[in-house]
Amino acid sequence: MTTITGTPSEGVTTRIARLQARTPLERYGYLFMRLSGVALIVLAIGHMMIQHVLNDVHSLTLEFVRQQWTSWGWRTYDLFLLIFAISHGFNGLRVVLEDYIHNPRTVRFVRWFLLIFTIITIVWSAVAIATFDASIG
Amino acid sequence: MSKIPVSSARDYTVELRVRRFNPEKDSAPWWGEYTLEGVSPNDTVLDLLHRVKWTMDGTLSLRRSCAHGVCGSDNMKINGANALACKMLVARLANGKNPVSIQVEPMAGLPVLKDLIVDMEPFFEHYRSVLPYFINDEPPPADGRERLQSPEDREKFDDTTKCILCAACTTSCPSFWADDRYVGPAAIVQAHRFIYDSRDQGYEERLSIMAEQFGVWKCRTIFNCTNACPRDIEVTKAIAEVKMSITTGKV
Repeated sequence: MTTITGTPSEGVTTRIARLQARTPLERYGYLFMRLSGVALIVLAIGHMMIQHVLNDVHSLTLEFVRQQWTSWGWRTYDLFLLIFAISHGFNGLRVVLEDYIHNPRTVRFVRWFLLIFTIITIVWSAVAIATFDASIG
Repeated sequence: MSKIPVSSARDYTVELRVRRFNPEKDSAPWWGEYTLEGVSPNDTVLDLLHRVKWTMDGTLSLRRSCAHGVCGSDNMKINGANALACKMLVARLANGKNPVSIQVEPMAGLPVLKDLIVDMEPFFEHYRSVLPYFINDEPPPADGRERLQSPEDREKFDDTTKCILCAACTTSCPSFWADDRYVGPAAIVQAHRFIYDSRDQGYEERLSIMAEQFGVWKCRTIFNCTNACPRDIEVTKAIAEVKMSITTGKV
């Protein structure tokens, strides 16, 4: 039922060493979710204020984005929003799916699929942000 | 919780629905319906179940021992939420209404053996996995008496000493329903009780067990355990303290 495989006859130190040798994926995953969550509160609320509250949604045109992206500061802001939102979202999806998927092989497939999908989405979008030609128009 | 009006009048009628299942006779669970007249608002749900078993249908099966909220044997799902049947008063469920509708089911997430009795073995297997016993290989103090502890050190794990292992928290936890390999809140509460005990030396091994894939990280902090606990243990807070200790390495 549990993953504890040690026996009482085995020395305590050996058991600790073996347990610690395992990949602490869930520990770092949990910490990442907490920290990226804090970052997203700032980034996402700022994004929403600029796009939907301070500016009317009908004025969100290519020209609006072009003007914003003349500044590398805003490009960096959007890049961070992209990285944190996508990775936070897909890691959250992984955690939820792993609650219900119990087959280790399917779990491994889901992990790799989501990781590759996350990387492709971030790289693809980052290229668009970085290479956008703000001198057009 | 709100104050319950004190009354000894036996003027309540209860429409009791009990989830029944006898593996030797039934192909599927069914609802047993019982109308109880002359119920006192101070009666507990356990009193109602006793009345059914003793005067209406002797085949009704349930677990209970002390019947006073101490032993933790009679946790069940009452009107959709886990509670000890012996502590849940009719007055609390009536909410001003008469007749009162009360629905009783076995706790969720553990296999039903018969009627309200579930197989507790998966629960106790998780309990045993966190080494729920005092570990200290040093010889006792020279005076041969107790290992002393300051009131401040005692306070750190005071809340988690209150656990009676009724399984209300673990069987109200959606993470446990979804994956029964998760150790569950009750086992974490038990681990917490020893991890933060200054006299105990097994905290490193317990924290390693808690940091495993099916340890504390399966907790999604939805607080069902804290709501369900009949001893008012702040279960989610205890789990958060263990998470913090694993992250910082500090106990």
